[in-house]
Amino acid sequence: MAMLRRLSVFRPLLFGLATASVLDAAGTVQVVMKDVKGQPVADAVASLTRLDAPGPAPAAPDQPVAIVQQNEEFRPYVTPLVAGTRVIFPNEDKIQHHVFSLSPAKQFDIPLYSGTPKESVVFDQPGIVTLGCNIHDWMKAYVVVLATPYYAKAGDDGKAAIGGLPAGRYHLEVWHPLLAVNVDRDIVIGERDDSTQVISLTLKPDRRIRRAPDAPGGGYK
Amino acid sequence: MRRLQSFGTKLLLLFVLVVAAAQFATYFVVSRDNLDNARALIEQDLVSAAHVFQQVVDDRNTILATGAGAAVADSAVKQLFVRTADPATIASALGSIRIRTGGADLVTLLDLKAEPVASTLADPVSGHVLKKLVNDADGDPSPDPHATGYGYIGGQLYSFVTVPVRAPDIIDWLVVGFRIDNRFAERLKEWTRIEVTFADRQGRILATTLSPDVAGALSAALPGLHARTGTLSLAGESSLVTTRVLPAGEDLSATLVLQYSLDEKLRPARDLERLLLLVACGSLVLAGLLSSAFARRLSRPVEALAAHTKVIAGGDYAARIELHRNDELGRLADAFNQMGAGLAERDRVRDLLDKNVSPEVAAQLMRDGAALGGEEREVTVLFADLRNFTALSEGRPPREVLTLLNRYLDRMSAEIERHGGVIDKFIGDAIMALFGAPVARGDDADRALAAALAMQAALARLNREFAAEGRPPLAVGIGINTARVVAGNMGSARRLNYSVIGDGVNVAARLQALTRSPEYRAGILVSAATLSAARGTFRTRPLGEVVLKGRAEPVAIAALEATAALL
Repeated sequence: MAMLRRLSVFRPLLFGLATASVLDAAGTVQVVMKDVKGQPVADAVASLTRLDAPGPAPAAPDQPVAIVQQNEEFRPYVTPLVAGTRVIFPNEDKIQHHVFSLSPAKQFDIPLYSGTPKESVVFDQPGIVTLGCNIHDWMKAYVVVLATPYYAKAGDDGKAAIGGLPAGRYHLEVWHPLLAVNVDRDIVIGERDDSTQVISLTLKPDRRIRRAPDAPGGGYK
Repeated sequence: MRRLQSFGTKLLLLFVLVVAAAQFATYFVVSRDNLDNARALIEQDLVSAAHVFQQVVDDRNTILATGAGAAVADSAVKQLFVRTADPATIASALGSIRIRTGGADLVTLLDLKAEPVASTLADPVSGHVLKKLVNDADGDPSPDPHATGYGYIGGQLYSFVTVPVRAPDIIDWLVVGFRIDNRFAERLKEWTRIEVTFADRQGRILATTLSPDVAGALSAALPGLHARTGTLSLAGESSLVTTRVLPAGEDLSATLVLQYSLDEKLRPARDLERLLLLVACGSLVLAGLLSSAFARRLSRPVEALAAHTKVIAGGDYAARIELHRNDELGRLADAFNQMGAGLAERDRVRDLLDKNVSPEVAAQLMRDGAALGGEEREVTVLFADLRNFTALSEGRPPREVLTLLNRYLDRMSAEIERHGGVIDKFIGDAIMALFGAPVARGDDADRALAAALAMQAALARLNREFAAEGRPPLAVGIGINTARVVAGNMGSARRLNYSVIGDGVNVAARLQALTRSPEYRAGILVSAATLSAARGTFRTRPLGEVVLKGRAEPVAIAALEATAALL
């Protein structure tokens, strides 16, 4: 507490210095994520947590993040965001949806609606939140609520680039919906570093529910 | 014993044996075949019943799992599982879910670590069973992960299936089960027509379609059954049994026993076999009767032929046998009759031969086959001639003449033959006889001389008879010579006469002619050769030598006279 009071005097100076250091010495890390067969893993989220001088909690963005329902699916499939981010769920389908989550990190329930509901959800706790639709069993999405601003989601090429990293030691964590074995390691970022981290992920089989076919059922099974 | 050795009996036995062998062989082949067929059919049915069982359990599991899956997709249920830590509420909700499944006997909730959270049954299910089940399901990579298995609850057997609770990722597992009881067994039996039993490892019956006594027998027999299939004797009936092991926990298991009675399957076949046996016995009896009748038809004529043979052997060549048959035996009878006719013919010829020639000649003819050719031997030839034939024949009818002549000849011949002579031939009223041919006896000359004297005596007797009949007496002149002559069958191939030829024969004939000559006054003229050949003593009157026609050397002759004893 005493330290904080002292720091507050020099806050503007410190802020300037911090910004300067960020602007001056921002490293990037390219995290390349592959599965055991060497195939790129899309939708994996890599996050870096600073180990020395854990800074203030990252600020949530002003604009809410949207997770839409489109063609009876959630889009995007995985949404990483910092804790405190507000999320809205616009329904772009002609039919109604009922969005819910029973995950401990955030439980909520938005009953059947069309268009954009009045309710929005603030994901305040770090953790993984699984979203579902009560009337469409196959609809699923993930919100990865993080406590660090340094994160990126891999595209189809399996690469996630995290930039603006101050030099120092970091704890790298990777998450994927099908991750079978936890992956985390400590890395060191130097000033103006542009390193690559290659991660091999062991994934569980994807046991997503089959989507209801548009055509009539397949007969006696 | 004779009965057994009879041909007819042998035939009967053979026939009956053959028919018996064929019939009973058929019976046994059919019987064995039926048994093998029944077994094969039952085995097929049992195997297919095992498949049906698997299918039925799978289908039932699927139905219950689907129902439970739909039940836990309910948003309120999901929230219940996530939020409430109150096991009593969860248990009651599970009861509701159980009804929604439409027939599950138990519903249990387990967490992701496979720890039981709540259950509809108060009895704790063996945790290990369910844990393994959930772990298996979790390891199932398909979009529809599930696992099935069996387990015991309170001594009863259940089938379990896992159901994932999704929200939308799997947050919990449900295990839904149905009891394997008599009703289930009955349904299986309805579909497969096979008796179904479930038993534990010790053989205790868990569920069955069998009646209590049969079930008890099966229960006792099960621990001893080590192979997958087998034949058991249950309550008096033979049954085929196949088993499948249903694992129900670490070292627990249940046994599915599928069973069908072999005797039941064989019942229609056995009826046929009984009929076959009946036919076999019937045909055996028929065969016996037929062959017995046939044998008699065979042995009677054969016996008749045997008897007929004895009759023929006895000399009755005229006997004939009639069998009235067209077959081989009929032909045999015909052959027998022909043989009889042949023998009779031969007998007649022999008889005729005997009458025509002396028995010795006949015998030699039969022996030598009436071949031509002869031999040279010393023979005493005797000629006898009737002196006053005209006295005999004058004024008498020819038949009477012949009768008288034959009477004379008969007497003369009798004496000749009595003395071992052979009548060569009759030449009208003359007789030519041979002594020493075809068989020489050593004393042929003596016998010829004795015969001549006997002939005279016999004629004297005949004359006495004639006198008594008022007929004139007869006189005979006899000439005898002994010489080496050729004896044999003379004539053509078809007409033979055993006779002698040579000078000596002529001499005897001439001597006989000389008896008419008044200067000698002899009834019997013999040559010196005969006298010297004779061993015995005869009263003779030498008459010197005489020159005979056709012979250069004179021949010494003598008259033979009867001794007082002969007169």
